[in-house]
Amino acid sequence: MNPRVPIWLKWALGAAALIALPLVVRDRYFLHLLVTAGIFVLLASSWNLLAGYAGQLNLGHAAFYGIGAYTSAILATKLGITPWLGLFAGGFVSALFGLMLGVPSLRLSGPYLAITTIGFSEILRLVAMNWVQLTRGSLGLYGIPPFTPIRLGSWLEIQFRSEISCYYLLLVLVCASLVIFRRLIRSEFGLSLESLREDEIGAASIGVNISGYKLAVFTISAFFAGLAGAFFAHYQRLVSPDTLSLGETFTILTMTMLGGLGTLLGPVVGAVLLTFLSEGLRFLEDMVKLDVRMIIYGVLLIVTILFMRGGIVGLLNSLRGTGRAKD
Amino acid sequence: MKLLRTENLTRYFGGLCAVNDVDFELVSGEIVGLIGPNGAGKTTLINLLSGVFPPSSGNIIFQDDDISRLKAHQVNSLGIARTFQVVRVFKKLTVLDNVLAAAVDRRRLGPWSLVAQAILGRSWSQAARDHDEADRLLEFVGLASYSDELAENLPYALSKRLEIARALATSPTLLLLDEPSSGLNPSELNDQIEIVRKINRQGVTILIIEHVMKVIMDISQRLIVLHYGKKIAEGSPREVYQDPEVVEAYLGGETHVEYR
Repeated sequence: MNPRVPIWLKWALGAAALIALPLVVRDRYFLHLLVTAGIFVLLASSWNLLAGYAGQLNLGHAAFYGIGAYTSAILATKLGITPWLGLFAGGFVSALFGLMLGVPSLRLSGPYLAITTIGFSEILRLVAMNWVQLTRGSLGLYGIPPFTPIRLGSWLEIQFRSEISCYYLLLVLVCASLVIFRRLIRSEFGLSLESLREDEIGAASIGVNISGYKLAVFTISAFFAGLAGAFFAHYQRLVSPDTLSLGETFTILTMTMLGGLGTLLGPVVGAVLLTFLSEGLRFLEDMVKLDVRMIIYGVLLIVTILFMRGGIVGLLNSLRGTGRAKD
Repeated sequence: MKLLRTENLTRYFGGLCAVNDVDFELVSGEIVGLIGPNGAGKTTLINLLSGVFPPSSGNIIFQDDDISRLKAHQVNSLGIARTFQVVRVFKKLTVLDNVLAAAVDRRRLGPWSLVAQAILGRSWSQAARDHDEADRLLEFVGLASYSDELAENLPYALSKRLEIARALATSPTLLLLDEPSSGLNPSELNDQIEIVRKINRQGVTILIIEHVMKVIMDISQRLIVLHYGKKIAEGSPREVYQDPEVVEAYLGGETHVEYR
């Protein structure tokens, strides 16, 4: 990149572009895709913290997403609790489940942990399917209220019924989360996570409390996935057990791998790219009446793993001659 | 002053007794060599001392604390650091990050306080101090010019030194070295001996597993000999090498083959 362009200017331009985007392209379908991409940025980034930095292969990430969505949806529909509170309640309840799933990770690793996490997410999906009184089963919860309007004085009221307002709300959430991820990754905490990913016995030998860090990272990762879920509930206003499906986890995984596992920007790139790509290929789906998306994800994943281990961001970094894929 | 002592230290793996009723002491400031034929239980003993797994029975007392049942990270926070026979450096991290990860003040800061610090933005003075310390250690083991290199790109001899720097970053009082010279050529070997001496001169007590006689005779003030998990001799290098039981353990004797 051109070193003469100051870093703050790049950020300012990026921010301006993201703010101006919905004002320029006034297409509701396009905005919906942007919001979907934003949700996946949160999901993929939080999965990346766990899998890419701490090396904990969690194949049940969609469960955290679903827990966040159902928590906020149930709180709002059954107890009339405001979605603004539900947003964080979704995050916290999901974090609690993250802590729970962290416990088996203390004893298991690699494929054994992966299988356990699949089990965890399937159990929760079955609960959502069958606890009809609470979740309405496979019909899903509908009639979830949108985010309530924010009043600024008596003259300005921001509604959250349109795609555009939800886009801005999500933009704030995603940016705040990415700042937190960046700080976590570039801190002693992030370094400790990487050390235990590289070698647990080696990490313990320099005083890293393996159990403590694993529980912490599971909790944090689940919190952000839950936040994404809770946002989704009040945006889509319909939550079904599909949110907890393995396919959803697989999508998150493919986005992260394609963008660059263990890099800060990788999940962002992967999530945006695949969201738009899979919509662009929807016509194929109508033609052959098959879930082409999953086939394409599979192929992309294999190609990434075989030829581009560091994903797109890793590839760009090595082309730029940076030895490490840090961003 | 007594730094560490073991009482009837024993460790079984299934039916195999890898460390059998071992008693020994380490005095502050000395370099003690731990020797014995292959499979004598040397590495197992170091694993017990560093908390990789607990003993089946017996105790380890370090500076008046019973550390026998502590986990590896707790043992480290009390001041025991170690290296590994087959290096366990963090391959995908830079040389500097390997040392920085160890320089974190883990006695004071657990995972959640590091999370809080990270989110709030930690003070830069602290980060700078860690850097100075890490740079100094890399200089000390002769890796200063490699600090931005990924650890996996280091040649074997240098990755062994990186492990030493990483262990030192936790500011230990006792350093356990598991074959620091294995796989090194003669000139690298001399450098390694020099590094171990310098560490000791700074007041760190050292227990070192070693096969190379030259190294052992050169640097250790005292030797402990293990054979089939038992301590069979202890004393100055000269005494130990004249001990008939030690000679028999290494070279075999008439009674070596047992019949049932």
